[in-house]
Amino acid sequence: MVAHQGTTSSSGMTRRQLLLAGAVGAAVGAGLLAVPRRYFRTPQQSRTFVTKVDHYQLNIAESIKLGIRELGIAPEELRDKRILLKPNLVETASGAPHINTHPLVLRGAIEAFLGLGAAVVAVAEGPGHRRDSLAVYEESGLAEVLTEDKIRFHDLNYMAGYQLLNAGRQSSLRTLTFPDVFKEMDWIVSVAKMKTHHIAGATLSMKNLFGVMPGIYYGWPKNVLHHAGVENSILDINATLKPHFAIVDGIVGMEGDGPILGDPKKAGVLVMGRNLPSVDATCCRIMGIDPYKISYLERADNWLGPISEGAIEQRGEAITSVRTNFSLIESIPAHRGLRLA
Amino acid sequence: MLSSALRRIAKEELSHRVLSDGGVADRPQGKFRIDATAWAIITLSALNESPALIDRCRARLRSEQGDDGRIWVSRDNPDTFWPTALTVLAWQDSSACMDAQKRAVKFLLDTTGVHYSSRFSEVAGHDPGLKGWPWVANTHSWVEPTVLGVMALTAAGYGRHERVQEALRMIEDRQLPHGGWNYGNTFVFGRELRPMPESTGTALTGLAGHVDAGMVARSLDYLQGEINSMRTPVSLGWGLLGLAAWGQSPTNGLMLVERCLANQSRYGEYDTSSFCLLVLGGLAAEPERGRQLWFVPDAHQSGPVVQ
Repeated sequence: MVAHQGTTSSSGMTRRQLLLAGAVGAAVGAGLLAVPRRYFRTPQQSRTFVTKVDHYQLNIAESIKLGIRELGIAPEELRDKRILLKPNLVETASGAPHINTHPLVLRGAIEAFLGLGAAVVAVAEGPGHRRDSLAVYEESGLAEVLTEDKIRFHDLNYMAGYQLLNAGRQSSLRTLTFPDVFKEMDWIVSVAKMKTHHIAGATLSMKNLFGVMPGIYYGWPKNVLHHAGVENSILDINATLKPHFAIVDGIVGMEGDGPILGDPKKAGVLVMGRNLPSVDATCCRIMGIDPYKISYLERADNWLGPISEGAIEQRGEAITSVRTNFSLIESIPAHRGLRLA
Repeated sequence: MLSSALRRIAKEELSHRVLSDGGVADRPQGKFRIDATAWAIITLSALNESPALIDRCRARLRSEQGDDGRIWVSRDNPDTFWPTALTVLAWQDSSACMDAQKRAVKFLLDTTGVHYSSRFSEVAGHDPGLKGWPWVANTHSWVEPTVLGVMALTAAGYGRHERVQEALRMIEDRQLPHGGWNYGNTFVFGRELRPMPESTGTALTGLAGHVDAGMVARSLDYLQGEINSMRTPVSLGWGLLGLAAWGQSPTNGLMLVERCLANQSRYGEYDTSSFCLLVLGGLAAEPERGRQLWFVPDAHQSGPVVQ
């Protein structure tokens, strides 16, 4: 006879029962660990605005002003504020203006913010691929517009920076270095492009903020962030910088092999909001992409902002009325399984 | 524009950016920056101007050197060591900086980027096992910091060192099939990426004297096709340097530089590094080539490099 079989513990359970209970507990624990963290977070609410803009020659400033009003932003919030617009300028190529945020969307945003009482509006970018930021600024057509409008452009790639503790703590980066000009600004506005992306699935207002990280500290193509993990870095930058507003240029976006080699895709919309994960989730739905399949959005849900359709109050156009599926490429791993049912 | 006018403009402009403590500011009324100071030294040396000022700037760079020989963008970002190669160039031929330069050279020889097995080349579009230098510690090696490393070590007499030889193979491997270079990727998911003028000019500058003209012929063609449309200082500066290194300076090089200087009314005053690059490009494009830029070897005239 084996002496220890059936022995009763001080709790009154047999050893077999204890082992079984432990195993069940471990299984439940492991199961809980497998449940996405978002299910344990307090649900959040936000609001986004979608407006149809058929082409770039329409009155974009009025569309943005309307969006700001619909989103409940009071004039006092913008009066005398210093606004920094961060477009998506990556690189340029003949016949491919859809790589970058269209300059007339920037002009519209400038007119809107100044019209609503902002004291200063500036535009700033640190392109990820090119060391010659001014060349991208010129060749994208933005220099023409900003020169006419007498708006200052800041090249963030060569700007000295200041460090902040990494509030996102998703990557191993202890601190993040942001350009000095941000200390002089009240609002950071991500003016992004609606594009598919071969690593992140989609690049919208959150991913656009890679461009704020100066090249002199992060290299070209912002390689420190790639080594730290693209999704981790997107979350870290957004959690630490806490941008104030987003405008996504989906008038003509990019489908297929984005963010630089894809084809133009007319979605005919501008999407706006205070909360960047919500704006990006709305963009995804317009693109026919399930936002829960975009890793960084799923992880941001109910932390940096809600991405559930039910948690986002939709102003302006209904998503169903503007949805147009952006083509995805099956051979690109980041595109597989993204399609919204 | 006459080259004498360019020299005068360069000297005047840089004198406004020199700081009292021996460094050079990143822009007018700006703050000290290591890369700006290094480029200013290289430019003033090429102009054969202001030796006392150059000495003060070199001393300032010595004071910024880390214990292991590296030079960083700022002390609170020690991983940003890409200015080390630039500083080796700025210390060239300075007896006072000989020890500092040796320590910087040793740092470069001992340092590389993060590299992977060559079997990943199908995914990466290039051979990720070939070692060069990164912009920032613990990241992959890319074209431009690798070219600067080659230029620095070659100038310091290490042109035949195995690190330089491998770096040359790495740069060659990153050349795009249709000519030119970008930051360092050739293909992504089977599609060839686009070349960039500044990357191409940098690579051509660094390869001169090391490889045969046939290896860079398509890249020279690409740059020749682009040079007249360049309006910004980084692209034009490196573009002119790259073409000059292969004896292909355009006849209108100084005119292009003059146009680019005038574009400051559109872009604002150029930062010091960009301004210096533009001046150096203009000097390289001088028709008479009165003084060979010491860090741009002529591919047809360079002698043997010393190990």
